[in-house]
Amino acid sequence: MTEPRRPFRGFPPPAKPIRVPGGLTARSKRGEIAQTWWSRRFIEVLESFGMGGRLQSGKRYARAGQVLSLTVSTSLVTGLVQGSRPEPYKVRIAVKAFGAQDWKRIERALAGQALYAAKLLAGEFPTEVEEVFTKLGLRLFPDSMRELTMDCSCPDWEVPCKHLAAACYLLAESFDEDPFQILAWRGRSRADLLERLRELRSRRPAAPEEPDEPEPAEPEPDAESFWTAPPPPATRAPQPPAEPDALLDQLAPLPLSLGGQRLIDLLRPAYESFRGDQDG
Amino acid sequence: MIVLHGLVTPDGAIACWAEDADLPARTTSKAKLARHPFALDAAALAELFAEQKPFPQAGRDLVVSLPSRGGTPDDSPELVRDPLTAGPAARGEHRLRDWKIPVVTPASAVLSSIVDMELPDGRVGADLRYLADIARWAEELVAAGKVVPGIAGTTRTASARWQAGLYGADAVRFTARAAALPAPCRAARLADPAEDVLRAAVHTMVDTIARERLAGQRLAPKLGKRPTPADATAHAWLTALTGAPEFDADAVEFGRLAGRLADWQASGSQTSPVRACFRLRSPEQFDDAALDDEAEAEEPVWRLEFLVQAVEEPSVLVSAEDIWSERDNLVLHRWVGAPQEVLLAELGRASRLFEPLNTALREPRPVELELDTDGAYAFLTHASTLDQAGFGVQLPSWWQQPVELGLKLTSASRGTAGVVAKNTAAGLKALVDYRWDLALGDAELTEAELRALAEAKVPLVRLRGQWVQVDPKRVAAGLAFLRRSGSGQMAAGQVLLRAAHPDEADLPLPVTGVADRGWLGDLLSGTVERQLEPVDPPPGFTATLRPYQRRGLAWLAFLDSLGLGACLADDMGLGKTVQLIALEALARKESPRPPTLVICPMSMVGTWQREAARFAPGLAVLVHHGSNRLTGEELTETIGKHDLVVTTYSLATKDSTALGEIEWDRVVLDEAQNIKNSASRQSQTVRQFPARHRIALTGTPVENRLAELWSIMDFANPGVLGSVNSFRARFSVPIERDNDTGAAARLRKLTGPFVLRRLKTDPKIIDDLPEKFELKQLCTLTAEQASLYQAVVDDMLARIEDSEGMERRGLVLATMSKLKQVCNHPAQLLGDGSRIAGRSGKLARLEDILAEALADGDKVLCFTQFAAFGGMLVPHLSARFDTEVLFLHGGTSKKAREDAVRRFQSPDGPKIFLLSLKAGGTGLTLTAANHVVHLDRWWNPAVEDQATDRAFRIGQRRDVQVRKFVCIGTLEEKIDAMIEEKKALAQLVVGAGENWLTELSTSQLRELVTLSSEAVID
Repeated sequence: MTEPRRPFRGFPPPAKPIRVPGGLTARSKRGEIAQTWWSRRFIEVLESFGMGGRLQSGKRYARAGQVLSLTVSTSLVTGLVQGSRPEPYKVRIAVKAFGAQDWKRIERALAGQALYAAKLLAGEFPTEVEEVFTKLGLRLFPDSMRELTMDCSCPDWEVPCKHLAAACYLLAESFDEDPFQILAWRGRSRADLLERLRELRSRRPAAPEEPDEPEPAEPEPDAESFWTAPPPPATRAPQPPAEPDALLDQLAPLPLSLGGQRLIDLLRPAYESFRGDQDG
Repeated sequence: MIVLHGLVTPDGAIACWAEDADLPARTTSKAKLARHPFALDAAALAELFAEQKPFPQAGRDLVVSLPSRGGTPDDSPELVRDPLTAGPAARGEHRLRDWKIPVVTPASAVLSSIVDMELPDGRVGADLRYLADIARWAEELVAAGKVVPGIAGTTRTASARWQAGLYGADAVRFTARAAALPAPCRAARLADPAEDVLRAAVHTMVDTIARERLAGQRLAPKLGKRPTPADATAHAWLTALTGAPEFDADAVEFGRLAGRLADWQASGSQTSPVRACFRLRSPEQFDDAALDDEAEAEEPVWRLEFLVQAVEEPSVLVSAEDIWSERDNLVLHRWVGAPQEVLLAELGRASRLFEPLNTALREPRPVELELDTDGAYAFLTHASTLDQAGFGVQLPSWWQQPVELGLKLTSASRGTAGVVAKNTAAGLKALVDYRWDLALGDAELTEAELRALAEAKVPLVRLRGQWVQVDPKRVAAGLAFLRRSGSGQMAAGQVLLRAAHPDEADLPLPVTGVADRGWLGDLLSGTVERQLEPVDPPPGFTATLRPYQRRGLAWLAFLDSLGLGACLADDMGLGKTVQLIALEALARKESPRPPTLVICPMSMVGTWQREAARFAPGLAVLVHHGSNRLTGEELTETIGKHDLVVTTYSLATKDSTALGEIEWDRVVLDEAQNIKNSASRQSQTVRQFPARHRIALTGTPVENRLAELWSIMDFANPGVLGSVNSFRARFSVPIERDNDTGAAARLRKLTGPFVLRRLKTDPKIIDDLPEKFELKQLCTLTAEQASLYQAVVDDMLARIEDSEGMERRGLVLATMSKLKQVCNHPAQLLGDGSRIAGRSGKLARLEDILAEALADGDKVLCFTQFAAFGGMLVPHLSARFDTEVLFLHGGTSKKAREDAVRRFQSPDGPKIFLLSLKAGGTGLTLTAANHVVHLDRWWNPAVEDQATDRAFRIGQRRDVQVRKFVCIGTLEEKIDAMIEEKKALAQLVVGAGENWLTELSTSQLRELVTLSSEAVID
């Protein structure tokens, strides 16, 4: 690992940041942070700016847990980042939200096909959704830094500073986890959007949610019933899947690799061995 | 007796411990944490597993919580103590108390088959049965690839481990199993929730099994010269998945790997209580026009309907249409608040696995996907993937029970079975005309249907009103085969082989049926016994055969003439031995043959010897047994002079070299279930004896597993059911696990020609049976019994000369009583609470009879005049048969007595009832029994008959079998002979009990008690 160059700006070299417990830690520990095409799209804007050093520091900040909080709301992401001073810095990343009229058009288009909501709810941001925006003449992903307004309470005058970069990386990761976040930033929270889509589908308000019933507590074994075995469950033999490694495809992609090969593919031969002798 | 238990240890392993009924029930220790007073010690525990491979690890002592009263832990429900020697019930507060117990941790392979483990005097507790089932499940999970790699520990103690991938249906199964986790499995960690305990156990087992299957394999590629820390960590982890589990990782990389893996594993979990369900409907199910053949020109449309299903209650199904219109949402609201979003998310998830779903998702409110036949086929092949991923899938029934495309052989053998039986030239070598047809299941296909099949572009074709899956390549191969060798002539034996081996490699398709209208057809359909003329035994045969026995003899002779091995599987008591002796007498009537070897259990040698001598005095019978038996050339020479050679399974194994050098005419296995384990040495040995013909006799061809039938059939006709592995795949697994009735029918058909089984409940057989079915069961002594017997005799003879009057009478009666006890069991005479299993010929015979009776669902009364003997047998038989054994003796209270009778009489009640002759001989109604066994003799027919009548009391039941046990060569047999010979006199003298014995002269007494040489087989 090479030490990132510290640009000399006439100040003494920056002090080390104060470590904080319980900060938001980027789960990606090496290499790229954004894993999906939709979060990459956002990070690319950041990286296109060509400020390697601060981005690297930001990435390290993100991984070290220096970002204390991050909140996505309409057009604004706010966060607290622990720097070298005792008081955490406030960061803000703003984008232009779509207006009410635009959203009406967007929602009508999204309600037109079940595909959009289905994929989003399944944790994917389908390219088709971006096309919906494009067709309506709207740009979902900011494609240059000009569309983003950022500020940070730190003394660094460069934008984005490493604190902002750290927040951006975590924001990208939250897009990975919940693709609805992108839309929330643009003005429609997940709940609002789903509600609107449901209305457009059925033109009727949804029934209120019922509170969950508390689960009955598991009875503790006692001396009286100890040796009385409960009836065994009816066992239905599992049907073996067509392919021995079907499970690997059933799970979400595993974002890990070794020497350029995907770990998933390195694991596949093991599943061939598990099946072993068909009779066994 | 011993009860083997299982529990999950604090570190997630499965350990075994055992209770021993012979140890004291109560601890004397005052320590707060005492050793469990009747837990088996570590050495004895290890001894139980001595035969198992791999040998389990002995563990440290574990601390477990068990319900107890004071210093007495509760007996588990499976533990049975001798009711006559057990102490009073423990008193005190009933609470969970900690105990120290020794444990072993067996390998998962040992665990999963622990129910089959040989436990001579023990049984397996419900807790261990449960864990054995879990071990089998873990094996299935690994075999199905339902495992995910993960990480355990922290940075410093990082280790790679395989875990069960419990997603979808498996998650449901897990929850159901956790709810049924018996408390004793948690005894070492009662504070933990059942789910945690079970999860730990499943993960640990899965990791062990996965590593066994991966032994020696490397998953990680070679690492470059200067790997990044990420690559180095990934590499170390992959290596640790197949090698030593521990690996080194730096803190940052470990955290990253662990986080990614955790997310990845979690991505498969479905937490929603409802799921999408896909129902495929074929065109004719909703479109009547599609039924019309005229409409065939149009491409049929299949429908894949979308529904939402409650995971816990799969019968709750709501159609997508109702979901969108919110019509029926109240049903689902019990489980989920926003069913529309659930349906959408589920469709989105499913579209990753079955891409064509995206088409349906182009609509705002999709309710189904229309598919052409091609698409329907694609969905059918994806169905198991969707099912595994936790979706509900409902397929047409024909898909689950596919009709197989195969070849059907029709041959035309000439003549009837009766003609063939007399004319050996017309046997298996005779040529018969044959024709092959393509068939679906049993139905031959017409020319038009064949054309339709050949032209099909999709592997789904509609034939005769049903959809069938056919591979065009297989159809083409089948048609080519028909053109090449569709008809001709082959040997009758070849036809049989085709029926037995439907998957022969020289055929392009499996054989789905073999038909013949001649004698081969009778043989193949298993009805040849009814087609044959009953055969009479030759003159000089002294027993009269009953009609069904004459049919059995004809059947045996028919297969004998064809050289086909036979399995005579008549119910116990129908006289398999006498049919076989008649066959030998018949076969040897005309021309001499090489000798026949009869291999039987030790307890049956006497019966064979006595019955052969009685029914067929012309047969020269050699009993090969005893420590002074013949060896080497002398043996070979002597055997050559005999017709029948009778020996035991253990001696057949011991003397296999000498016995294997003889060209036998026939090898006969009596109680052939003794070779049920095809891998055992005994089983391997008897297969290797060279013989022209083989017969297996057994009343229970299948005791527990179908593999037993394979072993017996493979002895009679080597190779007839293919290899044991292919048998397992073709029959055992489908029949035992999936309850596949089709496979069961195929197996019956396949074995039909070689198995003859008549049941005593069969009305045709009942008419043939005598009114009262009574027989002497001849037993032998073990060497230990014989030497004890001799000692008692010597002692009496030494003292009798000097005694007279009351003293002499007392000595004689005491000696008689002692000798009878020896004949029962050495431990009864010694009264020392020593081991029960394997020391008594009578007990061995009793166990054989009980095994057969229980296998048939029969109930048995066992009478003894010694309550102490009954008490000894209760724990032993409970363990041996893993069942409750009732016991009634002089000390039984009136209430307990009535209770025992009532329970025995109820259909689901206990099946074995031990009674002391005095307490149970009169006044009881025990008509549920259809077997009565007199373990020892009272020498008073009236008393015995009275006891026997317990079972006969009401109704004229013909299916009650009464057996009186008699030890060969002992006073039991001699007194029995005296009674038989001078019945009138005997009844006079014997009527008053056993006192007449004291009046015998010393030389008469000596004559009576002397042990003859044939008494012992060892």
